[in-house]
Amino acid sequence: MKTLKFSLIVSILALSMGVNAQELTGREIVDKAYNLPTGDDITSTLTMTLINKSGQSRVRKIQQYTKDLGKIEKSIMFFLSPADVKNTSFMNWTYDSDKSDDQWIYLPALKKVKRISSDSKSDYFMGSDFTYDDLGDRKLDADTHKLLREESTNGQECYVVESVSIDEDYIYSKTITWINKANFVGVKKEFYDEDEELLKILTIKEVKEISGFWTITHSEMENVQKNHKTAIELDNIKINTGVPASKFSERMMMRGM
Amino acid sequence: MVSIKDGIIIALENKNGVFNTETLDTLKQLTKRFKKFEEIDKDDVTSLYTADNIIGTEDGMDVKSFYKRVPKSEEKLKQLRENVVNNEMVFGRLVSTDETVTVIIAEIGDDVFTQKFYNEILETAKASQTDDIKVYVAGRPIVEGTMALLGPADMKKMVPIVILVIFLVLFITLRSFKGTLITLGVVFLSTIWAFGLMATVGIPIYAVSTMIPVMLIAIGVADGIHLYSHLQVFINHYPNATKKEATIDMIKHLWKPVVMTSVTTAVGFISLLTSQVYPVKYFGIFTAFGVMMAMVFSLVFLPAGIMIFGLPKAKPIDKDEDKGGHSHSKLANSFAVWIIEHKYVSIVGTAVIVILSIIGMQKIWINSSFLEKFEKNSEIVLTDKFINEHFGGTSTLNLILDANGKKDVFKEPAVLKLVDKMQKDVDGQLQIVGNTFSLADYINRMNKVMNADEEEFNTIPDSKDMIAQYLLLYEMSGDPENLNKVVDYDYEKANITFQLKSDNSKAMDASLAIIKTYKDDFHKLGITMNYAGSGYKGLVFTDLILEGQIMSLILSLIIIVVLLSLMFKNTMIGLIGSVPIIITALISFGVMGFLDIPLNTTTALLSSIAIGIGIDYAVHFLEQYRHNATTTDNRMVAAQKTMAHSGRAIIYNAIVVIAGFLVLLFSVFPPNRELGALVSLNMFTSFVGTLTIMLVLLYMSKVYFKKKNIEK
Repeated sequence: MKTLKFSLIVSILALSMGVNAQELTGREIVDKAYNLPTGDDITSTLTMTLINKSGQSRVRKIQQYTKDLGKIEKSIMFFLSPADVKNTSFMNWTYDSDKSDDQWIYLPALKKVKRISSDSKSDYFMGSDFTYDDLGDRKLDADTHKLLREESTNGQECYVVESVSIDEDYIYSKTITWINKANFVGVKKEFYDEDEELLKILTIKEVKEISGFWTITHSEMENVQKNHKTAIELDNIKINTGVPASKFSERMMMRGM
Repeated sequence: MVSIKDGIIIALENKNGVFNTETLDTLKQLTKRFKKFEEIDKDDVTSLYTADNIIGTEDGMDVKSFYKRVPKSEEKLKQLRENVVNNEMVFGRLVSTDETVTVIIAEIGDDVFTQKFYNEILETAKASQTDDIKVYVAGRPIVEGTMALLGPADMKKMVPIVILVIFLVLFITLRSFKGTLITLGVVFLSTIWAFGLMATVGIPIYAVSTMIPVMLIAIGVADGIHLYSHLQVFINHYPNATKKEATIDMIKHLWKPVVMTSVTTAVGFISLLTSQVYPVKYFGIFTAFGVMMAMVFSLVFLPAGIMIFGLPKAKPIDKDEDKGGHSHSKLANSFAVWIIEHKYVSIVGTAVIVILSIIGMQKIWINSSFLEKFEKNSEIVLTDKFINEHFGGTSTLNLILDANGKKDVFKEPAVLKLVDKMQKDVDGQLQIVGNTFSLADYINRMNKVMNADEEEFNTIPDSKDMIAQYLLLYEMSGDPENLNKVVDYDYEKANITFQLKSDNSKAMDASLAIIKTYKDDFHKLGITMNYAGSGYKGLVFTDLILEGQIMSLILSLIIIVVLLSLMFKNTMIGLIGSVPIIITALISFGVMGFLDIPLNTTTALLSSIAIGIGIDYAVHFLEQYRHNATTTDNRMVAAQKTMAHSGRAIIYNAIVVIAGFLVLLFSVFPPNRELGALVSLNMFTSFVGTLTIMLVLLYMSKVYFKKKNIEK
């Protein structure tokens, strides 16, 4: 899914983009950040840790494959742990057009692949604090973007862009994003709820250059209203290894990795 | 942790059905408005607008909200209606089965309920009303809030009338305007001091605190009546005495019984410290303080008042008239003689009353219902009834199952099957249980929709992995927050909610009885049971109060017998003196049993207070009798004199207090009516008991006359 490619897995530094940055508008900055070049396919092991306000945690390990097929982006995930959901798999197809995502789930205990449909990109991704939109499915023109200021955060020179949702019913009234001026990789993002109160803070903890692409390998989303946190870490990242398109099928979901 | 909070229920009724743009929009706006309340967590507001719709499709499953944008077209409204009607997790729970009512449930913490918040809720609800849509507010916090407001508010209206009546009756009995004013002045001062001390030490005023002035009025006037009554008798005998002589005689004779009665009464109240409920403890301490203050003021201000304002008019006694006895009062003489000569009437009468009371007591039941304290046709009761008719129930009992630290227990099929069985058992056996809800409901629903919506799959699957995978699927597609209400993060604690259509103890006990039959089964699975919820809390609270009440009842009885024995240096007196109050308590409970008045926090509290107040009559009578015994060798002479003297004051005292409290029978708030009726009844039995059976026992025991052999 585009999601994982952009914000989670790969946000890539395009060195050529640093040119004449002063002239950029908010919209252009976000456009560049959204459209950083990525690899054609990515393989990785994802560890998702959910932490609730009492400090209890749920840890899930997932093997995932993503491939960009032009107009469709396909991803498939296999649960490695916990043991009771091992081999559960999840497949997602995202379309460049307005068509909503197609999703399938395979439950090994049921031995059946089922389609699941979700009406909204603002659904939370696997019980985490990330919505599908947060993971990169948000369309550029769903918001109006405004460059607020330029400032330095954690030693990185950043653009600070405010994006206000055009749809008034959207779960976020606005977001504020800190984007690294040098590579257009996000550094931090604040999400404001319908009442314009701070809801969540996304912090990019680690970015690595893998096969020439800048990749976010560790990020953390904290819901400050619920005191709930999600950390996503990526390991064993391989880019452009030629994952076959046939990998993304119901048959493969049932067969497992 | 699984979060359990009390729910405020906001119900929207549209007689034309709720599936129309206007109602759905109102629901959405109100839901959003309640989410914005500072006192309410956003996630604790549930309505059709926030709920997940899990539905089975041909090739899979679909979880979505019922609506985000308010549907406008006929087609979309029809679709929404279909979704709701086909989802039993919502239909009957958030939307009534007759489709005319839908609810918002806003859960709030224990400590956020304030007057302001209460008003805001009501205003918000009212503001959303339209010609078609009626908005109701119910739920335990609202009931408690209304009661906390209504009780004291009603008392505020009633107290001045009570005072006025007491003033009038006091004036008629004392026949002295000055005396009436001073006596009431003592009561006011002691009340002010009691509340003043409360404010100084920073104790807030609870609903039960509003009973402090009522108690002080009932107790405080007694001192004044006895003092004035003595004064009157004295000047009637010695019309030429100066006010100084009269006052000195009054104090000399009465300081002892006044102190004794005040101490015994205060002890009765202090025994409330055994209660585990803080407002009741405070009530006990500060009323006791007020009683002691009333004593001080009676002994200081009353004599001072007489010195300043002068004596009441004397009605000199015609010494030559045949009084038919030894005292100045014909009536008292003949009454005392009659009582003693017909002593078996009193003894048999008392025995019969005691037996009847004990029979009546068997019928007493405890009621923790808050709602049943309101008028049957009051708005709050009608609203509650309305919601109970349409939904599962407004009172909740929560069963917390705890696997004691063992993770993932609530993914086990055996465990969930047992939970499911218990829910169906309780729901099926009891009419009063409108709804049950737990993790098992999610699993049943998921299993059904993942199996092409076949009803036969509306069960708990046999595989633990299957359950785990369903839960993962739910988390992936629904709002995982919803699961927090039924199970904790590590699947080691689960919350099962039983919704009851009544908050009375009978309903609660019946449900608990069935639930408890599952204790062993759960125990075998390593799971322990705990309870919570508004209904259960009410039950526990009442049990606590009652337990404390019974404790303090017994304790104050023992203390009073000991105190009386010490004060009169005679154990026999201690025992005889306690007879009227024991009878008072028995009759009080007996009457409640026969009249089907349940024991609740108000009525239980009163019974123990009755002891503290009832003893006063006995103390005055005994002290006077003891005094008279020193001047005569004849028991009948002592009895007649005591009757003429103390007996008169006791009757006046009883009349004044009973008249005052009968006023409360016109109160609009049922607990205050109960208070009025019970205090009146208790005063009546105490005074009758003192002047009849106690006198008989006193006479028969020959106490104070044993060493004197010169009997008539």
